Amino acid sequence: MHQRADTQVAIARRQTRRRLRLVGAVISLAVGFLLYKTLSNSITYFKTVDQAIAARSSLGGSTFQLEGLVVAHTISYPNKTTVDFLIAGSRHHQIQVTNYGEPPELFQADVPVVILGHFVGGGLRFTSDQILVKHSNSYIAAHPNRVRAPNGSVH
Amino acid sequence: MEKFHYSRADKVQRLLGLGAIASLAATVWLGLVTTPPDEFMGNLVRLIYIHPPLAWDAFIAYGMNFLASLAYLWPRTRDLRWDQLAGATAEVGVLFTGLLLVTGSLWGRPAWGTWWTWDPLLTTTALLFVLYLGYLALRRVPDDRELRARRSAIAALVAFVDVPVVYFAVLWWKSLHQAPTVLNPTTNKTYIHGSMAWTLLLGFIAFTLTYAWMVMIRYRIGAGEERTHEDEVNASLLARQGEGR
Repeated sequence: MHQRADTQVAIARRQTRRRLRLVGAVISLAVGFLLYKTLSNSITYFKTVDQAIAARSSLGGSTFQLEGLVVAHTISYPNKTTVDFLIAGSRHHQIQVTNYGEPPELFQADVPVVILGHFVGGGLRFTSDQILVKHSNSYIAAHPNRVRAPNGSVH
Repeated sequence: MEKFHYSRADKVQRLLGLGAIASLAATVWLGLVTTPPDEFMGNLVRLIYIHPPLAWDAFIAYGMNFLASLAYLWPRTRDLRWDQLAGATAEVGVLFTGLLLVTGSLWGRPAWGTWWTWDPLLTTTALLFVLYLGYLALRRVPDDRELRARRSAIAALVAFVDVPVVYFAVLWWKSLHQAPTVLNPTTNKTYIHGSMAWTLLLGFIAFTLTYAWMVMIRYRIGAGEERTHEDEVNASLLARQGEGR
């Protein structure tokens, strides 16, 4: 009777150890992958226009994410799937960008964007295939008067 | 007919529930109907009334998990009820972190132009989600009750390291994600339109009440399960003693 109980306890302990190892392995894999992404992609998520120009020669034709402000009156659409524009850094440096693919809904002049692509040729021309629009942490009402008036009407 | 007696905990739970439902309903009404669209992002702004409060709730949940785990590990305060509280708050935290990732993704597609990107904040938040999922998985591994509680408490302290990293990710590293609008340690300057600000504040209150309500329910269910388990063990011991006679 006691021997049977001891055997059951030993089996339960083995199962517990096995489950602990399994949980540990799955979590370690997931955490390892995310740490790898954090250290490889996230810490240097993008280069600013100024940084990219400073590192132009070392960047060559490598793919990276570039951040800058879309310069007003420079956006043009040569065709439905291509958009050309200039982006500027804080020191008034500018890079000419050609993006292939539809830009996001909120893409417009004077907004900061992060674009994924690479320099082409030896100058400051950048080709991209993804535009991400950055947002500030300010929220301003589009129609500040759109509140209910005392008579209940909506403006 | 016997009158049902409500304990003080029942009353608190009901009050929390009513407060949570009423404030959530008010947040939804204000967020969807009364507040104006944003100048730049239009109606997409309406997601801010739930997205930052979800993050806030996740931080509270993991903070509470950290404190309860610490209280369990501290010899003077060691009590299995701390472990139960840690488990309850982590479950709610994981739920809110999951919702945080989903709502962020839903907003990111039209606003940024992508469902997901390996931005520092997003990546460390995903890491947080996985760490606490792991913590919950660890809690499910059957073992001696005390040993399991100690092991879980140590895991909770390790997982908590990622919480400040998530909070400061947008300030430490270059990020696509905007910095916090409120409780931003680097600046006093934030601009949010009056009714938007009040709705956001109400969202924080509503989600805090929801968190407290859910944790209370989960904690009480856990305590009930624990009592049932103890009753079963006692009944089984009594039955064995009976067999031995």
